[in-house]
Amino acid sequence: MKLYEWMVKPTPQTEWVEKRGILLWIAFYVGGLGGGVYLVSLYFNSLLGILISWLIVVVLKGGFHILYLGHPLRFWRMFLRPQSSWISRGLIFVVAFIGLVFVQLLLAYFKPGTGLETVMMVLAVIMAVGMSIYTGFVMNYVNGIQLWISSVLPFLFLLCGVLGGFGIILGIAHITGGIDIMAVETGSMVLMIVMAGLIVIYLTSSRYIGPAGKESVIALVKGPVAPVFWIGVVLCGIIIPFIVSFSSLLGGELPLSIQILAILCEITGGLTLRYSILKGGYYSPLIPVST
Amino acid sequence: MVIDLQRCATCYNCVVACKQEHFLPPWVFWNRVVVSETGKFPMVTKIAYPVLCNHCKEAVCVKVCPTGATHKREDGIVEMIPDKCVGCRYCVVVCPYQQRTYHAHDNKEYFPGQGLTPLEIIGKKLYPLQKGTVIKCNFCAERVDQGVKKGLKPGVDREATPACVIACPCSARYFGDLDDPKSEVSKLIKEKKAYPLHPEYGTEPSVYYINR
Repeated sequence: MKLYEWMVKPTPQTEWVEKRGILLWIAFYVGGLGGGVYLVSLYFNSLLGILISWLIVVVLKGGFHILYLGHPLRFWRMFLRPQSSWISRGLIFVVAFIGLVFVQLLLAYFKPGTGLETVMMVLAVIMAVGMSIYTGFVMNYVNGIQLWISSVLPFLFLLCGVLGGFGIILGIAHITGGIDIMAVETGSMVLMIVMAGLIVIYLTSSRYIGPAGKESVIALVKGPVAPVFWIGVVLCGIIIPFIVSFSSLLGGELPLSIQILAILCEITGGLTLRYSILKGGYYSPLIPVST
Repeated sequence: MVIDLQRCATCYNCVVACKQEHFLPPWVFWNRVVVSETGKFPMVTKIAYPVLCNHCKEAVCVKVCPTGATHKREDGIVEMIPDKCVGCRYCVVVCPYQQRTYHAHDNKEYFPGQGLTPLEIIGKKLYPLQKGTVIKCNFCAERVDQGVKKGLKPGVDREATPACVIACPCSARYFGDLDDPKSEVSKLIKEKKAYPLHPEYGTEPSVYYINR
């Protein structure tokens, strides 16, 4: 956009998606992915999956967030205002998740089946869900960007994380065995259909929130973000993994290379979904729009 | 603050005065003039809005700040405490008026490749901006505080009034206490039906505009 059009026409958000903002985009996604991998691993009783989810959150989520901050050494200050800030709440979810899952992993390895392990597990589930959805609430607060004020957003992010979790658990199933691959494939397919429906609802509802919402949806569907949306979100995130899962269900086990491709596609889909929503966020103009 | 759009000549003096007062680096503006057009040729109307931080009563930037670096003073000025800011930029994104700036580089020169001018060097000493923090208009809080200490009245006495208000050659800007019904700004809002930008956001901005 031209410099003189700033806040006169719908103006794209750049702070959380360009330059160092790329780190935040990835951090937002891997947080949801970590939570999703944990929930799915718990369902399929995979200790390796739980360990991977913990590593995703500690290394990737924590790392990218810290790198993004202007003053990383002051990050502890972000715990201080959970009463009003979703960033504070999110950080609490993340740190609590890291601690709880660490204890759970230790107990599961050294003293499996204790009541304390169950308590840790239940609390970690709450934190994992919180970690997956809090970024949706963070974005809901930005009332200048109509694309972000949809109440669908937290559910979309939760679903996106869980879908990524199904992808990771599929990979684990191929490596370690002991996980019902058919159940994973079926679950993936159902979630992909729900995800596609939710994206349609999200875009349709955002389209009618207001002019900036309409502008955002146009940017996503046929504007500058469209290639990322159609190739990344729709093709890589939904269509390819769906075809692979469906073929796997119909014709038995597919070659490992195709399964890996489907997993990578699922993760690419999740990443590009976040990117599209962040990049497609347009602020409402401050003053009347030029005609 | 009240800004009379009928008086504003779009001279950008407020923008320059603000930059001088706070020694703002290149590409950082705490005061801007947003110019737009409405209508279709030949019936076109030019609209110019001087914009700055609205120091909202229900400031969303204060609510979302995870560290308390953005806070609201008793007099209503929304201020940054740079030592508390972690640079998460949530406030930059959440401000519907886009009046916050992340200060990423502290070595930008007005004349690239030629080093800092003496004025820029003095500015860095007098008004140091912390790299990696968010900066914004503070209604010249230092001036206001110093003036109040001397017993002066903000909006009435020059030394206790923001630079952009003093610098305006058209007297289009008024500054004062919105909570005082007898203040000039309160009277202007009532008499001239002044309005804030985007009241639908529920942030209750403290900057009003007159356009009649």
